[in-house]
Amino acid sequence: MRSADTPFVRSAARTDLDLHLRVNGRSHRIRAEARETLLDVLRERLGLFGTKKGCDHGQCGACTVLVDGRRVLSCLTLAAQAEHGAVTTVEGMVEHPVGRLVQAAFVAEDGLQCGYCTPGQIVSATACILEGAATSDEAIREAMSGNLCRCGAYPNIVAAVRSAAAVVERR
Amino acid sequence: MTDPTKRKHGDASDGALHLGSPLARVDGDRKVRGEAAYALDAAPAGLAHGVLVRGTIGAGTVLSVDAASARQSPGVLMVFTPFDTPVLGAPDSFLDGTPGEGPFHVFPASILHWGQAVAAVIAETRQQAETAAALLRIDYAPGDVVPSILSKDAGPGVPVGAVDIDRGDAEAALAGSVFRVEATYETPREYHVPIEPHGAVAWWEGDRLTVREPSQWIDAMARTYAGWFGIPFENVRLISHFVGGGFGSKVTAMTHGAVAALAARELGRPVKVAVTRAQNFTAHGGRAATRQTLRLGADADGRLKAIVQDGESETSVFVPFVEQLNAATSVMYDVPNLRSRQRLVHVNTVTPAHMRAPGKHPSAFGLESAIDELAHLAGIDPVELRLRNEAGFNPQTGQPWSSRRLREALVEGARRFGWKDRPAAPRSMRDADGAFLGWGVAAGLFPALDHFGEAGLRVDADGSIEVLSAGIDMGTGTYTILAQAAADALGVLPGDVTVRLGDSELPSGPLAGNSLLAGVMTGLVHKAAAAMRETIIGLALTEQGSPFRGSELNTLDITRGRIHPTLDEGRAVPIADLLKAIGRDRIERIEDNFPAGTSAQERHRIMTTVAGLRPPDGGVSSVASWCAHFVEVKVDEDFGTVRVRRVVSGFDCGRLYNPHLAASQFRGGIVMGIGQALLEGGRVDPRDGRIVNDNLGDYLIPTNADIPDIEVFSVGEPDFRAAPMGGKPVGEIGIVGVAPAICNAVFHATGQRIRRLPLDIAALLSTN
Ligand code: FES
Ligand code: FES
Repeated sequence: MRSADTPFVRSAARTDLDLHLRVNGRSHRIRAEARETLLDVLRERLGLFGTKKGCDHGQCGACTVLVDGRRVLSCLTLAAQAEHGAVTTVEGMVEHPVGRLVQAAFVAEDGLQCGYCTPGQIVSATACILEGAATSDEAIREAMSGNLCRCGAYPNIVAAVRSAAAVVERR
Repeated sequence: MTDPTKRKHGDASDGALHLGSPLARVDGDRKVRGEAAYALDAAPAGLAHGVLVRGTIGAGTVLSVDAASARQSPGVLMVFTPFDTPVLGAPDSFLDGTPGEGPFHVFPASILHWGQAVAAVIAETRQQAETAAALLRIDYAPGDVVPSILSKDAGPGVPVGAVDIDRGDAEAALAGSVFRVEATYETPREYHVPIEPHGAVAWWEGDRLTVREPSQWIDAMARTYAGWFGIPFENVRLISHFVGGGFGSKVTAMTHGAVAALAARELGRPVKVAVTRAQNFTAHGGRAATRQTLRLGADADGRLKAIVQDGESETSVFVPFVEQLNAATSVMYDVPNLRSRQRLVHVNTVTPAHMRAPGKHPSAFGLESAIDELAHLAGIDPVELRLRNEAGFNPQTGQPWSSRRLREALVEGARRFGWKDRPAAPRSMRDADGAFLGWGVAAGLFPALDHFGEAGLRVDADGSIEVLSAGIDMGTGTYTILAQAAADALGVLPGDVTVRLGDSELPSGPLAGNSLLAGVMTGLVHKAAAAMRETIIGLALTEQGSPFRGSELNTLDITRGRIHPTLDEGRAVPIADLLKAIGRDRIERIEDNFPAGTSAQERHRIMTTVAGLRPPDGGVSSVASWCAHFVEVKVDEDFGTVRVRRVVSGFDCGRLYNPHLAASQFRGGIVMGIGQALLEGGRVDPRDGRIVNDNLGDYLIPTNADIPDIEVFSVGEPDFRAAPMGGKPVGEIGIVGVAPAICNAVFHATGQRIRRLPLDIAALLSTN
């Protein structure tokens, strides 16, 4: 009987790629296997551990990053797919005009507890505001529902997004 | 506390104490910037990656593992199977007092539950290890499986005995009661699901082992590693600076850590083993499934005369784990006659574990649902019925309460919620769109435990002030409240204090469980900081070079980090300058709360096993936190959907060390409670005991859109019998009573009783 617990990958042949990634404004040339996800490359090859892995299956949102300003789940994105895009991770958010406000709002509203889902929440919240989706608490809840938080910081996350969106609005 | 952000943040300038003020989370900045390094956020040079392989039968034996092609797969460094894995040493049992479990077979050939780890592959990359793992050919001899408590062949279970209660004559009192209700309540397997999955990174330097692993109890886990590898406790360094949620799942060392450390030793390089999300449903247990039949009897005024409880909980075939079903039943209300029995049903599952509010949650689900049924039967408002049954002392032990402000939580909660406008009859409230609305209430409790520990304080001539403890912060706020506690006792600002946690090289810390760490550690840090303050003042009075040398005793003070004559702040000298002036680089103090004369060996035992857990207040009074939840639900009978629209919850947790962060804990517990009521439950394949929904798309936890506004408030007052700084348990109480409050609200909306969690949509579908 075969173990059913690991991805069924028959081919033992390695298919290495030379990749050129732009992450948080910096260029990285790396050699990676074609099957490596953007999440694994960010973490294990570039040492950018801010982006988290909660499920590796696109079900939790902890791995959310921006590619060309759009939020994507980096565990469902091959690194090779991101080659021609600009990747922004949580580490890049301090430089991001909206991301920075979102970070401050999360601290002020205590939109976090253990902090493990937080990088994904920060990136998602930033995109949510830029997408114009933060129009009401109801809309924020909906737009932020791809990011699970087991600590249950949701009401405070909504408060943080609301307050950051209000600051962006005023500018 | 309803809106802590609107409150003035305390600082020394207004004379307020820092402990008890709503300071923002001091580790918040690191977390929002992605700078907080969790266990697996490290790649030491030469790192190899391991993956675990799960068995695919529910019971039986591994006959053989053909690893030939796996071993030849690119990048593979090592394969462990039941037949070629070194047997590890026997740590003394973590459950002090029971014999050790014997040598640790990492991958036993005997399979006791579906998903039990049967092999591991180590390779240069995780992808290579996964590829090779899929090439393993494992042959099994399957045995008979008892999949779950719901299986026909699970049997009635074996009596627990140890948790039986016989108070008065419950059967006779029940028979003589005016009002009687009887019902059976069930809760499913629930899983902790921290968003950070389990995992470990391990490496060796000679015979010294370092493990980065999320941990709720550093010293107990380090002790297990020491036992496994036959090295002194001091040779194990366990690092857990940040823990991405635990909820009870990260208390003990497990197979993945053993594999990481073992492979690291064999390969002579660091090894990372990440447990996959699916594996997290079988690598350790969640909350045990439970079933209980409750019979309640009350007099004409609704005063409880008797409770009879018969319950079962699920456990594995190899460990008698008890999810104690009378944890709330026995102490919540003033009941003169109570009989409680519980049986354990052994099935082929991984052994269940403690999960947030163990025992208390299923116990309260049964009791608080039954109380609502009684209130309805007797025609008494459910808040009023609870108030009539308030217990003036612990009805189980006869002890006085250290404090119990459940009445205040119920009364104030009812006021804030607008409870007086609630029509008593079910199906009498509708929303504008015609859907039914319902209001429900339930109460909860969380009994306290105490533990021992140490706290270190270090003041440096470079100006740094550090609090040191192996205790951890899993989002509970330890970093923040310990900075607050130190600031008050030393006379500095919280921002001047760096708190270092989660490292076994630091002074021994208590278990982060049973919501006890905050109470123990704030007391110890206060003690250490007060001692440090005395030390610094003593040095200022006596040491050569001190500008205050020769001053009278009791004439110096420390304010905002500066030493000064009590009546003359103008002559203030920063602590660091004093240290420089007297030629000291650093002063350190470690304080503890061990009984005088405790030997080093005994300290080790009580800090690394459950032997150190003890009742608070020396057992004189009974210490517990209390809560009351008020919930509004909206039920659409055409779709069978239930939305929680509003929650108002009151808490008596004594003094809150930081109301801002405590509110987050309360809300977080309520969110998890909403999940338990509406969404969560492990689905077991009746053929082989496999957990079918072992992922976050099928095992549903609440999303942001499932959660309404949650108003929380505190009715607690400082309780110095509970803990040195006056607080009671905070982290788990929020969950207790949420599910019954929601189910009671659903009854109020629809007239349908929900007695099995999670709520089944089909049961609510309109029949007309
Ligand atoms: S890790 Fe990518 S969605 Fe969970
Ligand atoms: S803060 Fe812990 S999972 Fe969101």
